[in-house]
Amino acid sequence: MREVMRQQVDPVTLEVIRNALPAISNEMSADLQRASYNMMVYEVRDYCCALVDKKGRLISQNLGGVSHFVADLGVIIKDAMAKYKEDGFYPGDVLITNHQAVAGQHLNNIVIYTPFFYDEELIGFAMVRAHWMDVGGLSTGFGGGVKIADPWMEGLQLNQLKIYEAGRVNETLMAILNDNIRYPDSSLGDMRAQIAACHLAERRLEELFSKYGRDKVMAYLELIFAKTEERCRKVIANIPDGVYEAESFLDNDGDNLAEPVRIHARVIVDGEAMSIDLSGCSQARKGAINSRTLAGAMVAYKALTAPFDPVNEGSFRALQVVIPEGNIMMARYPSPMAKWSIILPTVIDTVLAALANAIPEQIPAAHFGTLGGSITCFGVDPRTHKPFVLQGIEGGGWGGRPHEDGESAAVSVCQGDVRNAPIESIEIKAPVIVEERRLRQDSGGAGTFRGGLGLDVRIRNVTEVQWNLSQGRRSQCPPWGLWGGKPGEVSDYLLKLPGETVWRSVDVVRHVVPAGSEVLVRTPGGGGWGNPFERDVERVRFDVLEEFISRDCARTDYGVVLCDDGSVDVDGTTHLRRMSGASACGYGVAR
Amino acid sequence: MSILMGVDIGGTFTDLIGFDEQTGQLLHAKRPTTYFDLVQGIVDCTAASGLDMGEVSQIVHGSTIAINTVIEETGARTALITTRGTRDIYRIGRGNRPDAYDFFFHRPRPLVPRHLTFEVTGRMLANGDEWTPIDEGEIEALCETLSEQKVEAVAVCFLHSYANPAHEERVGKIIRLRLPDCYVSLSHEILRAYREYERTSTTVLNAYVGPKVSRYINELSSRMSGIGFAGHFSIMQSNGGVMAPEMAAKRPVNMMESGPVGGIIASAEIGRSLGYTNVIAFDMGGTTAKASLIRAGEVMMSEMYYIGGYASGYPVMIPVVDVVEVGTGGGSIAWIDEVGTLRVGPQSAGADPAPICYGKGGCEPTFTDAFVVLGRVGAQDFLGGDLKLDELSAIQGIQHKLADVLHIGVYQAAQAVIQIAINNMSLAVRQVSVEKGYDPREFALVASGGAGPLSALAVARELHIPTVIIPRFPAHFSAIGMLLTDEKHDFVRTYYGALEDVDFEQLVKVHDDMLEEVRAVVRSESMTTTTIVYQTCLDVRYVGQEFTLSVPVSDEQLRQARIQEIHDAFDNIHQQRFGHQAPHEPVEMVNIRLTAIGVRNKPKFQLERNEDCLPHVSYRKVFFEDAEKPIDCPVYERDSLPPNYVLAGPALVQEYASTTVLYQGDTCTVSQTGELVISVGGGQDA
Repeated sequence: MREVMRQQVDPVTLEVIRNALPAISNEMSADLQRASYNMMVYEVRDYCCALVDKKGRLISQNLGGVSHFVADLGVIIKDAMAKYKEDGFYPGDVLITNHQAVAGQHLNNIVIYTPFFYDEELIGFAMVRAHWMDVGGLSTGFGGGVKIADPWMEGLQLNQLKIYEAGRVNETLMAILNDNIRYPDSSLGDMRAQIAACHLAERRLEELFSKYGRDKVMAYLELIFAKTEERCRKVIANIPDGVYEAESFLDNDGDNLAEPVRIHARVIVDGEAMSIDLSGCSQARKGAINSRTLAGAMVAYKALTAPFDPVNEGSFRALQVVIPEGNIMMARYPSPMAKWSIILPTVIDTVLAALANAIPEQIPAAHFGTLGGSITCFGVDPRTHKPFVLQGIEGGGWGGRPHEDGESAAVSVCQGDVRNAPIESIEIKAPVIVEERRLRQDSGGAGTFRGGLGLDVRIRNVTEVQWNLSQGRRSQCPPWGLWGGKPGEVSDYLLKLPGETVWRSVDVVRHVVPAGSEVLVRTPGGGGWGNPFERDVERVRFDVLEEFISRDCARTDYGVVLCDDGSVDVDGTTHLRRMSGASACGYGVAR
Repeated sequence: MSILMGVDIGGTFTDLIGFDEQTGQLLHAKRPTTYFDLVQGIVDCTAASGLDMGEVSQIVHGSTIAINTVIEETGARTALITTRGTRDIYRIGRGNRPDAYDFFFHRPRPLVPRHLTFEVTGRMLANGDEWTPIDEGEIEALCETLSEQKVEAVAVCFLHSYANPAHEERVGKIIRLRLPDCYVSLSHEILRAYREYERTSTTVLNAYVGPKVSRYINELSSRMSGIGFAGHFSIMQSNGGVMAPEMAAKRPVNMMESGPVGGIIASAEIGRSLGYTNVIAFDMGGTTAKASLIRAGEVMMSEMYYIGGYASGYPVMIPVVDVVEVGTGGGSIAWIDEVGTLRVGPQSAGADPAPICYGKGGCEPTFTDAFVVLGRVGAQDFLGGDLKLDELSAIQGIQHKLADVLHIGVYQAAQAVIQIAINNMSLAVRQVSVEKGYDPREFALVASGGAGPLSALAVARELHIPTVIIPRFPAHFSAIGMLLTDEKHDFVRTYYGALEDVDFEQLVKVHDDMLEEVRAVVRSESMTTTTIVYQTCLDVRYVGQEFTLSVPVSDEQLRQARIQEIHDAFDNIHQQRFGHQAPHEPVEMVNIRLTAIGVRNKPKFQLERNEDCLPHVSYRKVFFEDAEKPIDCPVYERDSLPPNYVLAGPALVQEYASTTVLYQGDTCTVSQTGELVISVGGGQDA
């Protein structure tokens, strides 16, 4: 059938439609972001905008923003079509859902979608998933942390409800929303922006369908999927066939502190096809780090195959993801999912580590591996007597790469165009003083190509506030190096109350602290790539000059001795490097 | 002293446009840009123009020197002084990775090394209160270090200096006293708005290019005087206005984008003079196409941009003409990707190896080759016949590289290349119009750049734009724009608060302070203006939002605290931009902005021909919608067209460096002043 189509294809229209579809989801994204009310959307870009056909297949999705939302909205449409049936949708409908049995993420991720009709035929849906600041439940912000035992503690559950039907608002549902979330102005403002973005997409689709005709657009869509798939297959064909495995773990799930959370990836490359099997990962846990998501495998596959291309259904058709029911990433409802995504950066890095032996020139050492130093504090601002919420994400170090150092202080593999909050903006909006935000010396793993540095961010609250300071759970399995590179420094959250002189490591949610307390958020560094004793001496000298590494580190980790004036002691260095002689090869993920 | 002169230094050529206000004569000179001595290229151009420099009353100059210094990393050895705890703000930036799936991403390369970045004691709070005083002894000691380190330029950016610049002022004074040869940039002197990373980056850029640009400007001034120039000299800015050379030496960061904006200003002015105040400026050169929107005569501005692109570029937080750029130009290469899809760009053959038809060794088919193949660009007539194009090789290139692979005919392939390129460019025009809530049917498209007139009518069709204007000298439009600019200065102060609670007396005081600042600048300018117009805006948002919209406010609204009017105006702008509003929600203001425009007299271009002239028309075979059969198409020589002449498409209008392609249904009228004003017909594909 594909051959038949190819002969009739008009290459111009094909290219036009191929460009127009991602342009629609990108335009949705631009409008949503600029009109939204909470920093999780406008700065953290914790959202995705997509067009999905009525079979649940992804037509297009915006680029940028949070990577782990890639192609994950189809399941919601499959469920909705089963529930409402094809004739159960009307023009002017707006649906809302966050229910974990299908959506499989924390409840803050609210999906709004509207049906798109052309000539009275249901074609598909425009959808926006966005992280609301609050959905009720135990805590505001990031769903209350790992100690949440079930979805009812987490907040309001909305299961595929019509908030508008045929253009008429459901006032009862609106009132329930308004009365059961803490910052209704913010969240309902975000909802308006989400709905507007969906309506915008409907208008754009209408223009496209009327210009080229329904049949042509639908037929070319299949061709676009096929070509996207073919492109991915060609990349995988260049990877040597084989079965590749790697393993890592999180320290614990927050509930049972004794048992690490096993992560295991088995990647099978067979010609043009790839299978990523995550069956070896832990079963669902009591701590709220469960989810229903394929993102760990899909983000890695996307980065390997077509990192710069728009996403559609074809992007993943040649990928098989194996995650059995009951697995931590395919947890049965009502497993707690409040911190659903913290496992993902490590899963993605583990899939990549498995492939390091197959394609060593394309795989960096592990990046810092957590979702970043998240900063969440709230209380009442004495300047305005109004409640405030401060939320922010700080970056960490990325792994050393074949031929170059890892970047420092950049957001995680799950977060693309996610930005930290300016200090000046934080201090305008919240009664805190950011005392420092600086690179952590010596936090990057040593290597021929060094891991990037993590951050130290120190904040003093000037009034009584509540802090959420949730540990990254990667201190036992730090960001690993490759080919002899050393691991990066691990993360920590430290607290010092007024009058105290020593920092104390904490793992807390809604923790009340008095005015004058200080919090220190330390984000991890990236792993090193290659034997550090083979690092160019000049680079080591420069790293010391720039204070990325200390003199001690230069000597012990890199075997480079510096004179008092900062120049290289050539004899001392040669001697030291020869003495050690140790040259690691291969890679091993820390265990 | 009746001659106005615009000089634009571009990547390849230095362009000069001269206009004699007495005779109405417009002339042009072009010389290769002299990289090692940019001033020489200008001197060459003035010599080639034959103008008597003593008769030149004004020179407006735009140059890429500032931006090239950044891109080539050839700026000064620069140090950065920051608040304690914020040494790494400049390196950490915002921590984002816009290419989300790229594990080999790169952050912007800092222009100041970490060992030349220093922290000092002293801290202000968000409301401008001092939390910790500065330590002058520490600053004195730091000056010793800077001197030992042979630093040539210093940038100073302290937290909350937009609210209270006292610490920056004090530190600036000490450094200027102790290191008189050092170029010093203080962040609050560049801009007074919050967001420390973006402000730091802007200040560092200013310091980094400062020594080189100020030397250049001084040298240019003195060499122009040396060849007899005694008039006013002005420098083009990124905001579309001009500034005095003394100002340019202090704020070189303001001239970063001074190249492309000339054409946009010219589009606005040409549109206005023909009665079109809603204009889309469309410029297509060799490697890119740019679009920009002008509404009710106002050029759309952006408050921030990135040198080197958003993903890994340097942020510059000063107002710039809002331009959307796509990687499709005359030299864009058409290719078949690994799964058999035809694509155009972003790779460009550029000037070297150039399109196949140039015969310079290029072998990849380009957008220009497609036009030559279809006969729409005359192989014998390019650059007035100075450059004969190799039509046969272009045909072979498209045949072998595209048509054979796609199993279609060569003319069909050429049409496909053009249509795909047109579609790419339409996306850019769409981004400045439809996506911002503006209906293209209410706009006229002014097309410039060598390849602009080739594509303009097709782009206009795609977006239902009813009118296309092809100005005179479309390939040298930037330099023309320089003759048409006003003097323009932008000021901003962060002033944060719920709109209801804002103390408007205090706000008026801030506003009056800014007015004082404007007057000081304007007084020090070599003013060539007659009237100064002020426009005040407040940056407003709903409480909880981050992004603001600029709401213009009148003097009365400000002085009488007409809060409700300002609120209503914001709701309306929000509705226009995003399609929804929330009139019952509280709003807050973040910044107050003041723009001062010194209105300059604009030259009036006249066509030096009368209606009795006879147009030169020839005919040649050109392919339009039918790829099987060319039509016998009329080709008009633009220089022969008299005012009020009307011609209908399909037709070509040829001139020295460009060709306008008209389709079936298009009607072109030559204006009194020589522009082609084309009414776009419907229903015809390119």
